[in-house]
Amino acid sequence: MRHDKGKTRRTTVSRRDVLKSAAAGAVVLGTSPFSFNIARAAGDPIKIGFPVPLTGPYGSEAKEQARCAQMAVDEFNAAGGMNGRMAELLVRDDKLKSGEAAKRAQELIENDGVHFVSGSLSASVQLAVNTICKDRGIPYVSISQSDAINEEKHFSKYTFHEAMNPHMTAGAVGRYVFPRENKRVAFLIADYAYGHEMARGFKRAGEEFGIEVVAEVKHPLATKDYSTFLPRIQAAKPDVLCLCNFGYDQMNSLKQATNFGMKERMRMVAPALLYNQRRAGGADAYSGVVGGTNFYWGIEDTVPTAKAFNDAYRKLNDGSPPSDYGAYGYAGVGGLLKAVSAAGTTDADAVVAALENLKYDLYKGQQYYRQCDHQSVQPVYIIESKDAGDQADEYDVFNVVYEETADEKMLRTCGELGHG
Amino acid sequence: MNKPMDNVAEVQISGRRLAGLVRLIAEHRVAAVIIFLMVFPFLAPYKALAIDVLIYGLFALGFNMVFGYLGVLSFGHAAFFGAGAYATGIAMVHFGVPWMPAIFVGVLMSGLTAAIMGAMAIRTRGIYFAMVTLALAQCVYYIIYHMEEYSGGEDGLTGVSVRTVDFGIATVDMMQDPMGKYYIMLAFTAVAIFLFSRILNSPFGAVLEAIRENENRARACGYNVLLTKWVTFVLSGLFCGLAGALSAIHLSVVPIEYLHYHQSGLAVMMALLGGMGTFFGPFIGAMAFLMLEDAITLMTTHWQLFLGAIFMIFVLFFPRGIWGSFLHWISR
Repeated sequence: MRHDKGKTRRTTVSRRDVLKSAAAGAVVLGTSPFSFNIARAAGDPIKIGFPVPLTGPYGSEAKEQARCAQMAVDEFNAAGGMNGRMAELLVRDDKLKSGEAAKRAQELIENDGVHFVSGSLSASVQLAVNTICKDRGIPYVSISQSDAINEEKHFSKYTFHEAMNPHMTAGAVGRYVFPRENKRVAFLIADYAYGHEMARGFKRAGEEFGIEVVAEVKHPLATKDYSTFLPRIQAAKPDVLCLCNFGYDQMNSLKQATNFGMKERMRMVAPALLYNQRRAGGADAYSGVVGGTNFYWGIEDTVPTAKAFNDAYRKLNDGSPPSDYGAYGYAGVGGLLKAVSAAGTTDADAVVAALENLKYDLYKGQQYYRQCDHQSVQPVYIIESKDAGDQADEYDVFNVVYEETADEKMLRTCGELGHG
Repeated sequence: MNKPMDNVAEVQISGRRLAGLVRLIAEHRVAAVIIFLMVFPFLAPYKALAIDVLIYGLFALGFNMVFGYLGVLSFGHAAFFGAGAYATGIAMVHFGVPWMPAIFVGVLMSGLTAAIMGAMAIRTRGIYFAMVTLALAQCVYYIIYHMEEYSGGEDGLTGVSVRTVDFGIATVDMMQDPMGKYYIMLAFTAVAIFLFSRILNSPFGAVLEAIRENENRARACGYNVLLTKWVTFVLSGLFCGLAGALSAIHLSVVPIEYLHYHQSGLAVMMALLGGMGTFFGPFIGAMAFLMLEDAITLMTTHWQLFLGAIFMIFVLFFPRGIWGSFLHWISR
């Protein structure tokens, strides 16, 4: 039997074996980050963690956000940093999952010793990152739309929200559209938090114009076929259809509604009308659709900072202008670094105080963080998608039809959000 | 199916020097695992990942009781992980239960979920069992998704934060001291691994393997096959529930994706990768999977491609899994 063989073998441990295992042990210990934040001296870089969903359905937006955030860091460093102290951006893939994002945020804080965190591109993921950061006293600037993050339940002094929220986006679009159209309004709603939040914002804005909700159709997230939902809307004969969905859902529902000939009978409105989605979906599906955005490159004619931001971006990206969500990455990190410069330190509480007092114009006009919920008060642009024939080039896809100037009236009141 | 490779003493191995060590480890497998896990955080790239390995190791271990030892493929174990995580989180956030009793609430709730799901699914076999468990787990997903007031729905449950743990003699700051947090998690995991090993070594554990090898013969020997299967399913649910409960405390949030069938798939993948027929294999599988994923995502956004390729290589060329192949190799 086989087991006899072993008895003749040497069973002592040779010197070479000891050396080998000692060497292996040394390598393991040497590579493991034993002493992760011993040296956080003054000369160290200002570290900003940036978890975004590089993989998954929002991958292209996330990469753009990371590019723009890096631009903000590079500009800060080129200007000499904070008294010579440079900034560094640590991009991580959160895979569009809150659990992964929470783990990544912990990694960034405990392992890389980041001073600040920005990023994320989904309502649920930003709430997870916010929980991790606020528990550890790390300032977090969220750059993705959410209503919940403003509410007292999720808020802490370390929580900042640079992105617009669905309430202000949908509200601004509603205030533009409802007085200009007839009053029968239908809603197509993606059945999740963001969809509901947008529909709520629309209805609130519609109250003062006396709109009549004639249909409210919910569809599951990531629906491909809208042929069962659209006839119910057609039957209600609305004058306005509000598309409270996002990304591919918005593109697919618009394409099919166009095929159904619904555009001739009603005005299509999408609160978050995205630049990348419009370019992917084509002029036909989108033409005549009205929506809201934080940024469209075309505002550069009137806004000098937009011009500077566009030019810097074009230089790095073969002449193509930045997108709306990319701009959030630039503003989130750029605003943070402005506050660091103002505070003259990376101390969390000092930077929070500086952020609260910050007035900044990085890419679209004046902005500031509201005291009670740290929501960025900012202009909202109302845009209308162009026909193919009216486009000067492939990037020229929207007309800016209205600008709602930065005003706290766009937001829910502090009391309503539960802030004392 | 393969006999569990870790009962090395029975396999009568000897030969290489390593074998002696392996036999020693096999005889004291729980102690060996715990000693290994005690030094593990020093080897892991960062502590949050080490804690994740503990949690998913326990999850895969619990899953493997049904998969590797009972020999049926469940595709619904996300429900137990998720139920444990949500029950713990909801108890803490909405009812103000302290974290320790909240973990017990989580484990009990996942046991209850397993008892109900098991009662409905256990009569089916093979692919039907996988499909029924999958469908029932999706039901749990939607129930919790729509309990928005308690579960947070789409946004997930946030605020499951344990700030400090006071032992009387020492206080661990869970937010600033990830090492302390790891050892607290390890204490729970160690007890679970000990219990798990005891169950498998008991006569009950022998019946499990008897059913796996030949269900009809086990029935002919007078064992109540259905009851045994159901009890195993519930026990497995309890272990996965503990993993979920610990995860809620680790991440301070409970994301809805914990209940998604991807989570069930993860358990299958980890058990296969590590070696489904072995005691420690699922743990190794979880460790390999999470550490590889972590390393590859830092290098490329095409991490799924590489991970998929590695997984396929194992399925095709090392069907025993990492740990199973290793045990097989040293006991030749």
